Amino acid sequence: MKEIVVTHTKLYEEINVWGVKVMEETIYIRMRHSVQTRPQETVYLKDLAQIIADENILTALKNLPIHKVSDEDNNIIVIDVMKVIERITRELHSIEVQTIGPSQTIVEVIYKKKGVSIPFFILIWCLLFLGSALAIMYFHEDVSMQQTQQRIYAIITGKVEKKPLLFQVPYSIGLGVGMVLFFNHVFRKRLNDEPSPLEVEMFNYQQDLDRYVSLTENKESMKRIDGH
Amino acid sequence: MVIKIAFVIFLGLAGGLAVGSGFVAFLTVLGIIPRLTQLTKTMKMIVWYQWAVVLGALIGGFASLRDPALYLSSFILIPLGAAGGVFVGMMAAALTEVLNVFPILAKRIGLEEKIVILMMAFVFGKIFGSLYQWIYYVAD
Repeated sequence: MKEIVVTHTKLYEEINVWGVKVMEETIYIRMRHSVQTRPQETVYLKDLAQIIADENILTALKNLPIHKVSDEDNNIIVIDVMKVIERITRELHSIEVQTIGPSQTIVEVIYKKKGVSIPFFILIWCLLFLGSALAIMYFHEDVSMQQTQQRIYAIITGKVEKKPLLFQVPYSIGLGVGMVLFFNHVFRKRLNDEPSPLEVEMFNYQQDLDRYVSLTENKESMKRIDGH
Repeated sequence: MVIKIAFVIFLGLAGGLAVGSGFVAFLTVLGIIPRLTQLTKTMKMIVWYQWAVVLGALIGGFASLRDPALYLSSFILIPLGAAGGVFVGMMAAALTEVLNVFPILAKRIGLEEKIVILMMAFVFGKIFGSLYQWIYYVAD
């Protein structure tokens, strides 16, 4: 009979203590999607995540070193939230970490601010220019554009014209206008402030890359039989 | 005889159905009409745009099959050509976008900031190639 009473009180105390602790020392972290850093730098928790915590531990948390960038690291490091929680609980005992949002952060190590070499750029530009010029000529030949335009000329005016330039020159200019319209860029000036399909496409491509990297570069996210 | 005629009619209808639905499917994949409504903020009129495409295809089909002659001023060809060019240009742009050309290219050569200049290479290349073809390349 006595024993049961003791356990009861203990149980009561524990719950009480636990309850108080939860109220005081729950911290919330939200991993950032991707961050950039430089070689040989230390990545702190404040760089990797947004933190909500009690004032007296917030500074300590913010300056908690998580990872030191070394030469073995390639230019992409994936830091899993598990590693972050492990570091936090090692430093500050009896703390409850609530994570919100992404479960890993992609750390991109920027080695050197690479300047674009102008000759290289001009080369690529000329390549695209000539390639695109040839491509449109191939397209026109493929769909017999010349004959079609001659016939349109004949339908409208009733006259036969070998070179219906009156139709073809506006057509050629319209070609460029159409491309610019589609991408919503008139030499960097916007027609309206919605993102252009190109920007959306760049964003999607980056997202796909990030998703790939966060799964393949993160050693903990996959386990293979062959001990990978 | 009747069977022959009926079969030819049926065949023509079937061919038209296949080509027409293919044309619409192609336009839908490229998303030119949504893009135009987004630019001009005329989402509510999209049904009319749909009929414009259908009507255009019908008139184009009629003109190419029957060869009518309208004896109109040749200056009407200028807006017609410009409109046709814009349409083909948008198709070309949409096609490069579907194929993810620009993002991959810009990323590969580290030119994410200057992507607009790269795009301008495409635009001017198209204009130049087209003009060159019509003015010099085609035989008289």
